[in-house]
Amino acid sequence: MLVTTQRLTAKTIRKHLSRSAARQYASSSNVEHSDVVIVGGGPAGLALAGALGSSKVVQESMRVTLIEAGDLSKTKAWQLPPDAFSNRVSSITNASQQFLRNIGAWSYVDETRTGPVEEMQVWDGVSGARITFSAAEMSLGGQTVSELSRLTENLNLQRALLRKLEESSSVEVVDKVKVESITTDDREGSPWPLLHLSDGRVIRARLLVGADGFNSPVRTYAGIQSYGWAYDTHGIVATLFHAPRSPFMTPNTVAYQRFLPTGPIAFLPISETASTMVWSTKPHLANALKAVQPSVLVDMVNAAFRLPEVSMRYLHDRLIEAHNGGTPITSEQLREEILFREHSHSIDTHSALSSLSAAAEAGIPPEGSESYPPLVKSIQPGTVASFPLRFSHADSYVGEGKGSRTVLIGDAAHTVHPLAGQGLNLGLADAEALAKCIHDSASRGGDIGSYTSLMPYSRARYFENHKMMSAVDKLHKLYSTTAMPIVWARSVGLEVANELDTLKAALMVSAGSHRLDRTPGSIGVGLAASTLENVAKSISDAQVVGQVASGVVQSGLQQLFRTLSSRR
Amino acid sequence: MMRPSSSRPLRHALAQPSALRPLPRTSRSLHSTCYRLNGHRASLEGSSTVNADEIAHFSRLSSLWWDETGEFGMLHKMNPVRMQFIKEKLLEIRREETDDDVEEGTVLRGLDVLDVGCGGGLLSESLARMGATTLGIDASESNIAIASLHASADPSLDITSAALSASSSHLYPGVKGKGRLVYENTSVENLLARRGPASFDVVCFMEVLEHVDNPRAFLDSCAQLVKPGGHLFLSTIARNPLSYFLTIFTAEKLLRFVEPGTHTYSKYVNPSEIISYFQTYRSPLSTAVRSAGTPWIGRVANGVPARVEAETRGIIYVPWNGEWRLSPRGEGWSEWCNYLFWVRRPKE
Ligand SMILES: Cc1cc2nc3c(=O)[nH]c(=O)nc-3n(C[C@H](O)[C@H](O)[C@H](O)COP(=O)(O)OP(=O)(O)OC[C@H]3O[C@@H](n4cnc5c(N)ncnc54)[C@H](O)[C@@H]3O)c2cc1C
Repeated sequence: MLVTTQRLTAKTIRKHLSRSAARQYASSSNVEHSDVVIVGGGPAGLALAGALGSSKVVQESMRVTLIEAGDLSKTKAWQLPPDAFSNRVSSITNASQQFLRNIGAWSYVDETRTGPVEEMQVWDGVSGARITFSAAEMSLGGQTVSELSRLTENLNLQRALLRKLEESSSVEVVDKVKVESITTDDREGSPWPLLHLSDGRVIRARLLVGADGFNSPVRTYAGIQSYGWAYDTHGIVATLFHAPRSPFMTPNTVAYQRFLPTGPIAFLPISETASTMVWSTKPHLANALKAVQPSVLVDMVNAAFRLPEVSMRYLHDRLIEAHNGGTPITSEQLREEILFREHSHSIDTHSALSSLSAAAEAGIPPEGSESYPPLVKSIQPGTVASFPLRFSHADSYVGEGKGSRTVLIGDAAHTVHPLAGQGLNLGLADAEALAKCIHDSASRGGDIGSYTSLMPYSRARYFENHKMMSAVDKLHKLYSTTAMPIVWARSVGLEVANELDTLKAALMVSAGSHRLDRTPGSIGVGLAASTLENVAKSISDAQVVGQVASGVVQSGLQQLFRTLSSRR
Repeated sequence: MMRPSSSRPLRHALAQPSALRPLPRTSRSLHSTCYRLNGHRASLEGSSTVNADEIAHFSRLSSLWWDETGEFGMLHKMNPVRMQFIKEKLLEIRREETDDDVEEGTVLRGLDVLDVGCGGGLLSESLARMGATTLGIDASESNIAIASLHASADPSLDITSAALSASSSHLYPGVKGKGRLVYENTSVENLLARRGPASFDVVCFMEVLEHVDNPRAFLDSCAQLVKPGGHLFLSTIARNPLSYFLTIFTAEKLLRFVEPGTHTYSKYVNPSEIISYFQTYRSPLSTAVRSAGTPWIGRVANGVPARVEAETRGIIYVPWNGEWRLSPRGEGWSEWCNYLFWVRRPKE
């Protein structure tokens, strides 16, 4: 009896295997195998493919497939005249640049189209408290950094990654093909994802990577929940043209960001005469701003960096009123309003604070010009666009159970407010960490789709991302209060103790505490640090919390910088 | 929640000690678990679809064995460290012996490797993926079924063609380099009798030694299977109050990480005992001439064998990282609980 069972088992299994072999064979006409299937050819997916393509172990033992719904040949052939720029521009931190260099992709980036950020100026739109943060102040283990980050068009980066990918034979790039559905091949008790593509192909994936953006179909397949909310805010982007900085001033390498209660507006230099804007504001304002004539938007942008907050609020109201009334505000009407407002604030038309100043053009610039971005002259046609902003973080980066063999990177895993310019950088750091994880597992004969193999990736990234994301989220919330300055300052005072921890964490993240060769020069650092001092200043200005709290904050800040500079 | 509901009754059954249960240790132990199928037979008998039911049954067992967040999680997590040690040691010796640049990824390629007590196939699959021609043996029929089923789902493992007459290579377009893998339900002694001595470049037995009744005889059989100049790798648990506390008191009695009764303290073996075993162990030079070669370990200083002859390395579970760590060479205290051991058969 016992013996029968034993023999029966052995025979059954063997028979089963031969049958399943036959079954596999029969279906092989349409089921392909790939070891890593990356869904999404955005910056994160392309960077992962590039990193995998540059690993010898991966090249020898694996097949990597990237699937993108869009037309990547357009990206590969992307070209613009030297004086025109795409509106999607990201600040690439030194750490991200280093990664892109290591995988041999940065050399394909057209550097003449990128702009170094050597200094950041951030100020509070209500109190005017300001801090500047420059690359010259940063030193790390005795090494100086020449820039905080480099503004790069997303397309410039994506094109570079695609060119890099052309070199490597182990990565197959499939574009203009959509992943239509994902099912589970649950044979022999171990679930493998089966991807059904719009061109009829079916791919069985050892590891399925979701680099498919915020609405990630891979995340849905994996059954991973995402935690978060939409900010009641849209980000307007546009390419701005302006005169070059006067020879008496530093060149256009300074990034400016002003925190208004409606959201921050950022001016990011990309060439001597062009910069990009990210203006986060309420959705109804964003709609009104997108509807006006370009010249009106130009004046609004200039005013948003200069006019006192009360008057900005007034301009917003006027804009909405006209927009809702069906007769958008005209250039003349707006200029009249601004002139009147400047006059009532005693802003001289020749001062740096004047949005309509004719003085900035030639000769010696007015005093304080360095504190404000160059006056915008025009907007590159077709570059005004807006995006809803949201905070979201997946509950986990690695799928389990029925959703096994899945992993998330980039916006599929997390989205963050753009105020610290970190979104894309976090995605690149994910790609770097996942590529390393796959490499390590493969070089020990591991199954790269297994949970055990993927854990190091999740450990390396989840909390790092979370720290940065919550710091950025807090900054957004701290500044979006519409309360009166004193009330505002009081609430800030209560927040200070909490802020210290998250900001410290954020600083460490940007400094790359998990990697020794990382430099701290990122906009994130600048912003985090600026905010801290800003908070301190506002508090002492308002004299609500007084010297004590302010002292605490400032010494905390010094402490952070000491820690930071002592890190290698 | 994550588990398919159909497996829940089974899982429940597994929680009962009397039911079929491929325990972490039982799976590696050398006595068969097959007779335990009895309890499960009732539902199978009288049915005309016995085979399908049985496959379904083993598929479920396989998915439990291979559930990395489940009961066998600790074992899964230990595997990368074992592979790291095997790879590093082979690489070190190869580099010692050739002037050519040996590539890391190729050290196992083409070697004949035996995995004794292969369980669900964790180590065997990794060895095969690294290019070794791998034979996994286990005295448990059920483990062999689990291992075979699992490997058959992985297109980079050439299990079917090796185990069966029908060739199935290139089933899927896109599969790069296949590792050859065979599973067999047998014992080391049987294998030795059939294959004869000096059949493998590498012989591994991970977490097995602490379960066998006659470790000397077992070590002897394994050592005989190693080719001249070949390697023997094992992992086991040292015998001291700390290891008792961690593996039996804490893991079995207190936390129930593993089933109580899994380990027997008196069966634990200390590194020094294995070292002294191989200080006197000599392989027969040839079967015809009844003489023996040099002992496997010839040079020992302060209890530590020469680096090119043998090595012991501790492995420690780091709970906050959730992973095992291979201790650096010479960190003696780390060998107080779980450890890996490597010894090389002299070339003669
Ligand atoms: C206004 C704004 C300003 C920003 N500024 C910065 C900045 O200064 N610095 C910074 O670092 N980041 C910035 N970001 C964030 C940055 O743009 C994103 O983090 C980044 O684009 C995310 O890259 P990704 O590759 O993860 O996803 P995505 O770029 O969203 O790519 C996902 C891809 O997946 C493809 N896809 C989806 N579903 C399927 C399917 N079913 N089949 C096939 N393909 C599919 C899509 O076609 C898409 O190409 C900003 C974002 C916004 C909104």
